[in-house]
Amino acid sequence: MLCTLSRWLISRAEDTGKALPGFAGRHVRGCGACAEFARTATALSSRLRTERSAWLAEVQDFAVEIRPDATPMPAAKTGEREPQRSWLSLHPLPVAAAALVIVAGALVLFQLVLKGPAPTAEERAEAMAALKTITSAPGEFQGVIGAAESPLDKERRVLERSVTSAVEYLQARLNIRIERREPPAKAS
Amino acid sequence: MAKTIAERTDEELAREARAGSRRSFDELARRYKRRLFVYLRPRLGSDEDAEDLVQETFLKLYRNIAGYDPAFKFSTWLYTSANRLAIDSFRKRSAEKGHPAAERDLDIPDPAAGVGEGPAASGLWEEARTLGGDRYRVLWLRYGEDLSVEEIAAVLGRTRLAVRVLLHRARTSLAGRLGPDMKRTPRTAAAGQAARD
Repeated sequence: MLCTLSRWLISRAEDTGKALPGFAGRHVRGCGACAEFARTATALSSRLRTERSAWLAEVQDFAVEIRPDATPMPAAKTGEREPQRSWLSLHPLPVAAAALVIVAGALVLFQLVLKGPAPTAEERAEAMAALKTITSAPGEFQGVIGAAESPLDKERRVLERSVTSAVEYLQARLNIRIERREPPAKAS
Repeated sequence: MAKTIAERTDEELAREARAGSRRSFDELARRYKRRLFVYLRPRLGSDEDAEDLVQETFLKLYRNIAGYDPAFKFSTWLYTSANRLAIDSFRKRSAEKGHPAAERDLDIPDPAAGVGEGPAASGLWEEARTLGGDRYRVLWLRYGEDLSVEEIAAVLGRTRLAVRVLLHRARTSLAGRLGPDMKRTPRTAAAGQAARD
């Protein structure tokens, strides 16, 4: 295990230039195989660099031909870039299909998730009971309505009470009886 | 005094090629065609395929030279393009054959390499080529092109850790094959001397 780690650190030192940690250095000094690996790694680097020229020299020469007329450098020479067509204009049908799917999905989501649940039978029964309570107490209901009647009606009632009071005073003072004549009923 | 074209760096030549210099581009092609060939050859079926892909890589570079950013190494940019083209080429060939296959299937070591010869006679790079595509490629980029682990990761589209693991395995395999005797062979020594001359 220590050999594996030490060899990895030897490789790291070759690649990054970092020094071997103390424990790895001590191990390499005491382990013949790892010391050999360290020597080999150094020799490999040196030999690979040295033999690079020989390796390249073995390759047969060949021509790299680039015809200027066939392969111009448009950006370097003209400084212009070919305008890019938008993805939407290149693929209208897939975009339309995708939009349709998204809209349909949104509708389904709205119906299934966002819309509130329908009232239960119990809730319906409670609502009906509350309605019956209101309709079964018309006086209170009227009182509630009367509290909200217009100021004109209030004024009318005040005048009516004043007239009634005046009539009662005259009856008592003059000892006469004044009868109240009801307005004629409207023909239906 | 102005540098001659042979003295200019790759990045200088690429800048000139970007400005429209065909001569600079030709110099870049001259410098890199063999290097690309040895990089691509193990993952292709033949020398002709490798030459075609080198040609295609330079064609692509020529067309896209305006997109080269001088802040980056030219070799990194070149090998990244070559790598992508090699993958595309492999996929096309797999589709033509009618059966998908993993890229590593094509990284079969070249059977002609090292047949009847031990590593002592065929050179270290020949031995490295028999390790298989990924390991050979990282070795080439590391020691053939002197790219850093980060640059190799960018070229191959892998993580730095993955590159370090590949390098470690390549070293371990080579060390195992070569054994403790790492002395140079007469053939490689002579070839290296000839190349230096």
